[in-house]
Amino acid sequence: MRILRAGDVLILLAGTALVGASYAAFWSPRAAGDRAIVSVGHDTVAHVSLLEDRKIPVDGLLGRSLLQIEDGRIRFTESPCPGRYCIHTGWISRTGQVAACLPNGVVVEVEGGAREFDAINL
Amino acid sequence: MAVSQRESEAVFPGDREDQLVAGLAALAIAIHILEAAFPSPLPGVKPGLANVVTVVVYLRYGLRVAAWVALLRVLVGSLLIGTFLSPTFLLSATGAVAAIVILGVIGGIGRGAVGAVGLSVAAALAHMSGQIWVAYSLFIPHPALLSLAPILLTAALVFGSVSGLIAASVDSLLRGSEDPAHG
Repeated sequence: MRILRAGDVLILLAGTALVGASYAAFWSPRAAGDRAIVSVGHDTVAHVSLLEDRKIPVDGLLGRSLLQIEDGRIRFTESPCPGRYCIHTGWISRTGQVAACLPNGVVVEVEGGAREFDAINL
Repeated sequence: MAVSQRESEAVFPGDREDQLVAGLAALAIAIHILEAAFPSPLPGVKPGLANVVTVVVYLRYGLRVAAWVALLRVLVGSLLIGTFLSPTFLLSATGAVAAIVILGVIGGIGRGAVGAVGLSVAAALAHMSGQIWVAYSLFIPHPALLSLAPILLTAALVFGSVSGLIAASVDSLLRGSEDPAHG
């Protein structure tokens, strides 16, 4: 009995192609987004373009968060929350990336360009 | 051994397959637990040598016995290791179910043309894909997990091939040892 049959070779080739495709699919550079959605709680409060540099104040549950847009990126610069995780998230610019301040209820998500994922749950 | 099997067969007809399943599952569980004792370079990566048992059993006894052996291994293995109903168990079970399904599909389509290596590679990839899917959708819905997918799938491909080669030689050894008896 032969160790390798025709079907085995076929499956090995298909499997290798599949694994190769997974590298292409999951390791391709993420597309840069050109817009961001700002929401407070469940409500979207603003769609902002990342193409023009500016600062955006957002009133959340605790108080005012400050967002900064620069060079196609966005970040939290000020926040009334205790942990400041949102600020430590730093700049986000890729489609699907999220910066969130949970205590203040403010969430920023980058969109536009080619989305890599349909949804990201955090 | 042969005598006692025949005796019990006389008392409980239809029990032979149960005994077969129990014996093979015990073997798979032993390998499963031995393997769990070895450290892994990456969470989720292990050789999966217990799948050698599943593939050989599938080739020799068919899908039903293979499914019993694989599911019993996951259940009893998790009880003995202490991961029953934990995320690890769910991942393990998902992998086993995915592997069994693909064994049935590939084995059914490629009957005669596909041997142990093809079955093992297909099963390993299905096992890993199923696990990644469950891990992503239930436990860690973070893109970083998907970035890990190519590495995990590569490991599955390599270990699946190795398991397949082992399964192929085990199968041909068993055939060799049986042939004289069956004439």
